[in-house]
Amino acid sequence: METEHTIETPHQRQNRHKAMEAISVLNALKEDFKFPIQSMGYFYDRFEKVYCHHEPLHEGKAKIGTMCIQIPSEIIYALDAVPIRLCNGFSTDDEIGSDLLPQKSCPLVKATVGWFASDNFFDKPDITFSPTTCDQKTKAGAIIESFGHTVIDVGFPRTKESEESRHYWRESVKSFAVKLSKFQGKKLTRSNLERAIKKVGYVQSLYHKLTEFRKNKAVPILGVDMFLVTNAFFFDRIDEWIGAVEKLVSELERRANDGVNVAGKASPRIIYTGSPPIFPNYKIPLIIEQSDAIIVADETCSSNRMFNDMAAVDEWNLYDMIDSVSDKYLKGCTCPIFTQNDDRIRRIIQLVRSYSGDGVIYQAFAGCQVYEMEQRSVLAAMEREGIPILYIESDYSPSQHGQLTTRVEAFVESLKNRKRKKK
Amino acid sequence: MKNKFSLRRAVNNMNLVRFRFWFQIVAFLLIVYGGYAGLDLGNKLPTFACVYNSEGTGGKCYVGMLQHDLKHPLETFAGYAGYAFLISLGMFIVWFWVLNKGWCGFVCPLGTMQDWLSMLRGKMKIGYSEYSWANREKIKSVKYILLILLLLLPVMIANSVFGLPKLPNGLSMPFCDICPGRMMIPAFTGDFNQFYIDFSSKTDIVMTTLGMIVSGLFLVGSFIKKRFFCYFCPMAALQYIFSKPALLKLNKEGSKCTRCGDCYRACDMDILEIADDVTSKNLVTEDCTLCLKCVAACPEEGCLEAAFMGKTIFESTKEGFLLRMAMDQRGEKHGN
Repeated sequence: METEHTIETPHQRQNRHKAMEAISVLNALKEDFKFPIQSMGYFYDRFEKVYCHHEPLHEGKAKIGTMCIQIPSEIIYALDAVPIRLCNGFSTDDEIGSDLLPQKSCPLVKATVGWFASDNFFDKPDITFSPTTCDQKTKAGAIIESFGHTVIDVGFPRTKESEESRHYWRESVKSFAVKLSKFQGKKLTRSNLERAIKKVGYVQSLYHKLTEFRKNKAVPILGVDMFLVTNAFFFDRIDEWIGAVEKLVSELERRANDGVNVAGKASPRIIYTGSPPIFPNYKIPLIIEQSDAIIVADETCSSNRMFNDMAAVDEWNLYDMIDSVSDKYLKGCTCPIFTQNDDRIRRIIQLVRSYSGDGVIYQAFAGCQVYEMEQRSVLAAMEREGIPILYIESDYSPSQHGQLTTRVEAFVESLKNRKRKKK
Repeated sequence: MKNKFSLRRAVNNMNLVRFRFWFQIVAFLLIVYGGYAGLDLGNKLPTFACVYNSEGTGGKCYVGMLQHDLKHPLETFAGYAGYAFLISLGMFIVWFWVLNKGWCGFVCPLGTMQDWLSMLRGKMKIGYSEYSWANREKIKSVKYILLILLLLLPVMIANSVFGLPKLPNGLSMPFCDICPGRMMIPAFTGDFNQFYIDFSSKTDIVMTTLGMIVSGLFLVGSFIKKRFFCYFCPMAALQYIFSKPALLKLNKEGSKCTRCGDCYRACDMDILEIADDVTSKNLVTEDCTLCLKCVAACPEEGCLEAAFMGKTIFESTKEGFLLRMAMDQRGEKHGN
């Protein structure tokens, strides 16, 4: 008998590895927790389709890669294109990127570079805009360009208090709009931008509705599920995402009325902050929620920071809309790349207060210098406020699972003790 | 319980722009045409109810009155005139305390005219200009200088201050001479008689010419810059001195602020503190007109509020914000 032997190509192997990473996280989300949410099915399927079966979602549409959240998706949608956020959470891609970047680089940046290096996309961006946020993202743009991709830098200031910064960023956004408009051969108009701003505003309003439920005593949705929902917005078809989240909102409404609690009665409520959990790197959030704690809110750019602050337009004319969209991505942003970052500390404290958090878990990617550097000031501030905080460094490798679990479990246990003593 | 909250909810969800538009029109009618219907709110009003609109005005501007009151020999202030002066000032303050700076944002006819010009500009899709922060800081003092001048000049007509010669009588209403309200407000009742240059004396030539120039600047300025004139308004300076104990307040709960700057963007007076100050509670700053656009533009629950005698009457809510920005529903307009 003769069997056919085929040798797996590097792309196939990469895809197989990524599918394995993806499915193991999806399975954990689906099966490890009590009271699964029906309408989460859409998101599990979507991620499986994209990351396990590598099915494209946006065939025939112009796909605009974005390296950070600061590229206004409003303008991309207005110009009839699709934003694809290229922040990457795959360990497989991280390994490929490791050969191209310094050893101590951020795994997220390595994974993004690795993704481009292998040129293995489900929805390949036609052009990529890279805001000059942190050093590593900024420099990664040029490396990605060297692989033959079109990458356009969008100047982003690193202070947000000054007038110069505000003007600089507004000009940057205008020039981004002009370049994209040329690329698309389409004019940015009052009506298409107004429509896009309101649509993205609606998207944000849905996110806010979801988070409202997490303030309840009985929390109807897991933090990891929330991360999945927000991460889906990186690449999903916006209208389908909206439809799915609307369903999720109404299911959570029912669950809230019934008092469904996905956590235990004594489960400590965690505010998650630091480097962004991006699918499938849910290592720390999963450990937290598998250790009988529940993430009730987060301060990360893959979730809260992406949706929290909304654009307010005073005069619905092009000049004011572009400025208001620009301001939204600069002024409200709590990214640690900024020189001063009191706003981030204030945001974390406010989240702890309004979501009745018991403690904060601050996770930084090893190599994510800005988060590592800001750790001290955040820890000091939490100490002042009497808020327990755990600082963890991790990366994309699956190796330190045991050690991380021990640390998280110990922290969760101490929070439980604290809670008991309070009573 | 639900009913009680639904009124508050309706107020918080209101379309402030529309409400203010109509409120300003009613106030404009009362102030500019009220006199025809017999309305007389007295002559201590903390807003530009212009005396030169003698037939139509529904009351009179205190700044005009104040200049008039001060044109007396200093000795007289020691006696009866002094009491009269204090009583006048007191009545002005009482009027002012009711609405605080809301007089500027909701009642002042000059303010309303500027808002109309801004609206016209917006309809023509012409962008607005802003001062640089440095210049913005510099011009803050102009209104105080104008206030000091308008207080000092009338005194210097009746008295020889520091041995200087007395000033000519043509300076008896120095601010009214250059106030755009003197020309613009009577014009709304068909009286264009204030558009003139008085050649009777050198002072009059200078002052009335200045007046014409300022009115021209007023029209052009407020077309390109929102509330252009309010930055220089000595009435605002006078009001601000008494603003602290006023009944209507603009309060901020700093801990809820994300400093997203939406309020600053909405502010016609470009007041930076409204977005950046997270420690003060009272946010009625010197240039604030209490128009409440900042409250309407704030997406944070209960971060900004207008309060009357400590009671919240209008506060920022997520729901209200979404409604005002038309972001509350998918809407067919939003479809791809």
